[in-house]
Parts: sequence; structure tokens; C-alpha cells
Amino acid sequence: MRLDGITLEYPVPRQYRKEDIQSSGVRKISLEVKQGEVLGIVGRNGSGKSTLLKIMAGVFPPDSGIISSWGSVSLLAGVGVGFHKELTGRENAYLYGALMGRTQTQIDELIDEIRSFAELKHHFDRPIRTYSSGMKSRLGISVATAFKPDLLLIDEVLGVGDASFRKKSEERVKEMIAESGTVVIVSHSLGLLSSICSRIILLENGSIVSSGEPKQTLNDYSSLLNLD
Amino acid sequence: MSQGEGEEHLVPLWGKRSLHRLPFIVLGDLFRSRNLLKLLVKRDLNARYRRAYLGYTWAVLEPLLLAVVYTFIFTILVGSSDPLYPVKIVVGIIGWTMFARSLTTSAKSLSSSINLFQFARVPKTVFATSGTLTNAVLAVISLTSLIPFYFISDLPITFNLLLVPFWLMVLSFTGWGIGLLLAPIACKVPDVLNLISFFIRAGFFLSPVMWTYDMFNSRFGEGWHAVVAHLNPTVIPITGMRDAVLGEPSMIPTYAYVMCFSFALVGYVAGTIVFERKAHSAVVNV
Repeated sequence: MRLDGITLEYPVPRQYRKEDIQSSGVRKISLEVKQGEVLGIVGRNGSGKSTLLKIMAGVFPPDSGIISSWGSVSLLAGVGVGFHKELTGRENAYLYGALMGRTQTQIDELIDEIRSFAELKHHFDRPIRTYSSGMKSRLGISVATAFKPDLLLIDEVLGVGDASFRKKSEERVKEMIAESGTVVIVSHSLGLLSSICSRIILLENGSIVSSGEPKQTLNDYSSLLNLD
Repeated sequence: MSQGEGEEHLVPLWGKRSLHRLPFIVLGDLFRSRNLLKLLVKRDLNARYRRAYLGYTWAVLEPLLLAVVYTFIFTILVGSSDPLYPVKIVVGIIGWTMFARSLTTSAKSLSSSINLFQFARVPKTVFATSGTLTNAVLAVISLTSLIPFYFISDLPITFNLLLVPFWLMVLSFTGWGIGLLLAPIACKVPDVLNLISFFIRAGFFLSPVMWTYDMFNSRFGEGWHAVVAHLNPTVIPITGMRDAVLGEPSMIPTYAYVMCFSFALVGYVAGTIVFERKAHSAVVNV
């Protein structure tokens, strides 16, 4: 995936337009994500991390700049985002697969793996409204990673569930990387990022202020936080 | 895919789509997403009636119960003596509901489905269309509420009945097109949804649900009133449905058919162009 000078600014709410407030979003981001790379994104709240992932997923069009991609892209964001509470885990898994562009047969082939990875047992055939947030996250991660997109974008969802499921999720992401899947991950868990990322970028006010080796970028991030 | 191979296949995500081909491109997108469409319709139907004891029976009961109320008002309070009035009301309610729900669900589709297109790149028209298709399924189920009238009122069973699904399709297509046209602005300015809700309520009385084409003609004749009435895109399809159900010859003038089909077609073309051009940037505001 390649981003050339991507800018997307959210409009400033009407009541704040007279004040000198800078609009949020991302500005002039140029970035290349290579096949098999695990790219981490760090930054303070509101720095533009989630917006950048949504642009990369093709959900939001940029105001300017060019974004080019190949293969399938999937964004895993939030706990149970996109799940319908009245549908069962199985029905939601089928719906998610279809959203990823998979056919009925392809989903049929993966459904047992999804069920077993999510460790939901009989709850898999119960409506999502009966799930705890941890169960929803397990289903979400299980479905999103089972369909193995060419580029998986993860926004702050790996630190969910109990300790054993967190370990399993991390292992699944590492497996994907080993199978030449490409991952872009946003997380505040710096330990996780430094262990799995080959490169990390630091966003501040919608722009990239540091990019490179995980250790160096995380040091820059710590310095930025200490400035406040 | 190897790294080099991936880079060779890089394609811009937001390439320009030619304006005059957009109505056809949308149909192609929908065909490619047919599995997703099927699952979304199934989801909407399940979610709607899963927890109700009577389930899909509600789709049949709703128009029947409304017909009882309107028949009571017209026969007891207004003094109408038409024995076929109840069946005319049921047909009017089914047709109007189909149109109103198609328009509303497609106009709301961008704001109501934001959770679904936040994690994958999917044609956004799929969500506007799935709501319309769900309503089409419900309308077809509702048609079974007409069966008792064939025994009670001894209605003729003719080939004209085949026109009922055709007119339902016209209503659904027109509502869908107008909904697509309004969806981006409804997403940016939520007040538009309140306006739509108002027009739907007012449209119920301005459309031939409680009154019929014959009643209108006998009161206002064929003058300019008729031309104005034909600007309402539901008048001809609902009247066509009624004529088909009752096995009666159509009294609709040819120019009215032309107006009706032109409205549906222009609505679709304008709707797809505006939707495809504006929907993507509109969701940024949600």
C-alpha cells in the first residue's frame, strides 16, 4: 500500500468556527507499507491514528493525495463493531465474511476454525446480545484474522479478553505475519508493538513526526509525552 | 503474493468513475455483492421478527388491521357504500408502505450502516439496496392478506394479477432511487431525515391509500388537477395494483404512464450519480 500526500480534515463544529481551532484529521501523510511488514502506529489520543487506518481501509476518501493498494484489506476496530446484536455469533461470522468479499463456500470452509479459535462453544449459536464484551472481541478477532486479508489493519483491539486469549491473539497475528500477511497496528501497548513491529511511526496533530526502528520511535514518543 | 508482485498491482483506491456509466456501475457492484446482499436481507428479516411470537404473521396482520380501521372510518363515519373498499385499502397500504419504507431505509442507509462499512471496503449502495429488498420481501408476504378477499368478495382471478408484483417493483424502484438521491445529504444534515419523515406522513394522505383514482377523477375531472396528481410517483403504481387485484380495466391515460416511468428512471439515474459522487465524503461526518 502506498500513500502519497494524504490529507483528510474533519470539519470544525459550527459553534467553534469563530475560535482559532485547528481541524483534526491527518495532513500530508506519505507512507509505504511493504508486503509482509508489520507497521506500528503510536500517538496521543486525537493524533489521527484511527483516521489514518480508516483511510487505509478505503472507508474514508482523502480530501487530497493518492492512496494505492492491492489485494483485500480489512480493518479490525472496536469491540464487536459491525456485529448485529440479534444475530448469533455464527450468523455474524457469515455476514462479516461476506463484507470481506468472501463467498458462501469460502465461509463454510472456515466457520469451524472461527468457532474453535474464539472459544465460544455453544455461545457461538446464541445472539450476540447475550455476549460479554470480551466474548465479542474474541469473535471479532477470530473472524477478522480467519479470513486472512492481504492487509490487516488493527485498531486497539488486541489487548482484550483474558491473558490466555491475548496471548493467542498475538500468536495469530504473528502467524499471519509469518504467512506473509501484512499488518498495520495501532496500539497503546508499547511492549506488544516493540515485540511484533518491524517499523513504527509516531503521529502528532495528524502528521508523521518520527518513523523508523521501534526502539527509536518509542523513545521519541516517550519524550513527546514527557514534554506535557 | 510476493512483494514485487504486490507493488506491480497497486491500484488507486479512489479512481474516477465516469459519470454517465455510474447507473450501470452501481448495478455491477450490486451483482458482485449479491452474497452480502442476501445475508443483509436475511439479517434484517430475522432481526425484525425474531423476538415476536407471531413472527412474519405481523407482515400480514399489519395491513389487515389498518384496513379495518380505515374501513370503519370511511363506511361508518363518512358513509361510503363501496363493498370493495376494504380490499382497495389493503392494496393501497401495501403499495404505500413499500414505497415509504424503500425511500426511508435507503435515505437513512449511510448513517444507519456506518458500523458495517467501517471495517471493509464495500459498495455503500449495498446497504441502501438491502433495506429496499427486505421491504420487497415483506410486501410480497403482505400480499397474502388479499387471499381472503377473493373468497369474501368473489374477486375474479385473471392474468392481470401478474401486474401486482410489477407495480410493487416500480414503487420499490422509485423509492430506492429517491432514497439514494437524499442519502448523502441526510447523512450530512440530519434534519433532512425529519423532513423525509414529514413528507412520508403527508404523502400518505396525498397518495391513493384511503382514496382511489376514481374518487379523484369524479371530483376533479381530467384538468390540471389530474396532471398535478400524476406528479405523485405513487398514484399510477398503486392504482395499477388495485386494477390488477380487482380485475378491472385501467382508466389511466397514457401520458400518466410516461410520467410515472420517467420519474422512476430519472430518480434512479440521479440517485446513483449523486450517491456515488457524494456518499463517500458524507460518511466522514457521521
